[in-house]
Amino acid sequence: MEPLIRVVDMCKIYNPGENEVRALDHVNLEIFQGEFVAIIGQSGSGKSTFMNMLGCLDVPTSGKYFLNGTDVSTMADNDLSEIRNREIGFIFQGFNLIPNLTAEENVELPLIYRGIDRKTRRKLALESLHMVGLDKRVSHKPNEMSGGQQQRVAIARAIAAKPPVILADEPTGNLDSASSKEILAILKDMHRNGRTIILITHDNGIAAQAKRVVRIMDGKIESDVINENFEE
Amino acid sequence: MGNFAEYVKMAIHNILANKGRSFLTMLGIIIGIASVIAIVSLGQGTTNQMNSEIDDVGAGQVYIYCSEDAMEEEEWITPEDLEDLRNLDEVEGVSVASTLSGETVTGKGDFSLYMTADTEDAWMVSNDSMKRGSYFTDADVAEARNVCVISESDAKRLFGTDDVVGMDVDVSCYDITKSYRIVGVTAQKENGTFVSYTYEGMPTYITVPYTSTMDMVEGMDEFSGVTVIGNKSLDSQVVTDKSLHVLEQNHQSAGEDYFQVQSFQDVMKVLNQMMGMVTAFISFVAGISLLVGGIGVMNIMLVSVTERTREIGIRKSLGAKTSSIMMQFLAESAIITAIGGIIGILLGIAAAFGICSIISQSQDMTLSPGISPMTILIATAFSCAVGIFFGIYPARKAAKLSPIEALRRN
Repeated sequence: MEPLIRVVDMCKIYNPGENEVRALDHVNLEIFQGEFVAIIGQSGSGKSTFMNMLGCLDVPTSGKYFLNGTDVSTMADNDLSEIRNREIGFIFQGFNLIPNLTAEENVELPLIYRGIDRKTRRKLALESLHMVGLDKRVSHKPNEMSGGQQQRVAIARAIAAKPPVILADEPTGNLDSASSKEILAILKDMHRNGRTIILITHDNGIAAQAKRVVRIMDGKIESDVINENFEE
Repeated sequence: MGNFAEYVKMAIHNILANKGRSFLTMLGIIIGIASVIAIVSLGQGTTNQMNSEIDDVGAGQVYIYCSEDAMEEEEWITPEDLEDLRNLDEVEGVSVASTLSGETVTGKGDFSLYMTADTEDAWMVSNDSMKRGSYFTDADVAEARNVCVISESDAKRLFGTDDVVGMDVDVSCYDITKSYRIVGVTAQKENGTFVSYTYEGMPTYITVPYTSTMDMVEGMDEFSGVTVIGNKSLDSQVVTDKSLHVLEQNHQSAGEDYFQVQSFQDVMKVLNQMMGMVTAFISFVAGISLLVGGIGVMNIMLVSVTERTREIGIRKSLGAKTSSIMMQFLAESAIITAIGGIIGILLGIAAAFGICSIISQSQDMTLSPGISPMTILIATAFSCAVGIFFGIYPARKAAKLSPIEALRRN
């Protein structure tokens, strides 16, 4: 089976020349459809750079990145926008909702950029808000919701367009432990429903919730293990 | 590009979310457009009014005057010339309007008095109508009778009433005192604005047969110019050609360029050109305020881009293309200037009407603004162009942001 994500010999070098920083140093990784992977590393380990690469927010200095069979490592800005829209659902640490839009409007954003008509957009948005249990917060604005609720809106936004990959960058970093549990439960739930989830974190406790744990250090993959204690 | 309606919706959403700021941004455009519209309308209104008045008074009139060559040769227009010109089919009348200054004493006091020595056709030049009595006649001119015509307001000034037909005005001029019998009083013109307006301080005039002044001063039968009043239905060129032909024949001066012509069309053209230049200059100054307004829009949009860097990052991470972001921001500045433009047009029209009614009331005349669809069209097009032009830079700046950079900033 063709992996959903295949990273081949990926390097990212900042400031090439004398003071160069090798944020990613010949990284190889494969992730298959339906996996629940945690990528863990300390700050400065290169995990954020790696997440930018996986999320098609940036292009590598060298190496290849095949996403869903397409080589995206050499794509131009506009094509990357389209790939992000179709293939990836982002969940950020800071939620990244647009403050003057309601929950529903926020969820509809990626659907607008995909060119989906109004009616279908609304249906999909309400569907995914229902999935994260926010039926009653549809027309609330972000500042009228708790952190946990905001992150659930962000999750709804990530899944609304039904992308094959969900990329979660420290999704519980700004949340209290109760909300964190809720969010992790939703992610696990989505995994059970067959979605591919990549969770980026520095927290061993959070990483322990994933089925596979990839540890990054100094821009290299240090370990890549299956979590024996994973509970479906 | 396919999602144009969506970008417009986003833009409107954002404008409404920042009502106060959006309005302040519009203000520059509003003031710019309003002043351009108001000034152009006022200028056009004034020009229209002037044209209609000149047309009223001067249409069909041609002024023929002796050139310097003719004066050197002592070739003047003579009473015989006048008679020959009058006898042309195309000519309704001729007027010479030489002015003499004198004095008069009435029961109301001492007045300085100007005598306009003219033919019986003088009334045609200013299109006078009679309030009382009648104009002096060709017989009065032929026999050099001491009769005169006075305007209603001058009659009141001299005698305190306009019921003066039959009364005498004693005119002292060049040591000669003569009694002129008033035969007619001309009616006051209504709503004169630029051409036929009588001022308080204007001197008193009487119009007399030119023949009656010949015993006062020498040379009152030699004229340096004549106004030929042509048939209004004819092209003034025809009248000019015929009249010149008569004069050149009488003076045997064909090809000497003794007689030169100024028609009222020429005067009108010069006046219109002057008005046009004044309007253009003031519009240009007002246009600068529009430019400043446009720069205001650009500034606010730049601030907005900086403020919304994170939003741009979010949108880009969710799949917005460079062109999508560009369209969104461009739509925002275009809508702001378009709304500002519409408000400006309405305000400008209102201001033009307001100023016109103030002038009309204070100066006792009718002036209405000349609002042309063309002006409005140009102003609208210009404000849209300003919006798009000054929107491009901030929009490009927004669209070019890298999503990582944008998301990192707070």
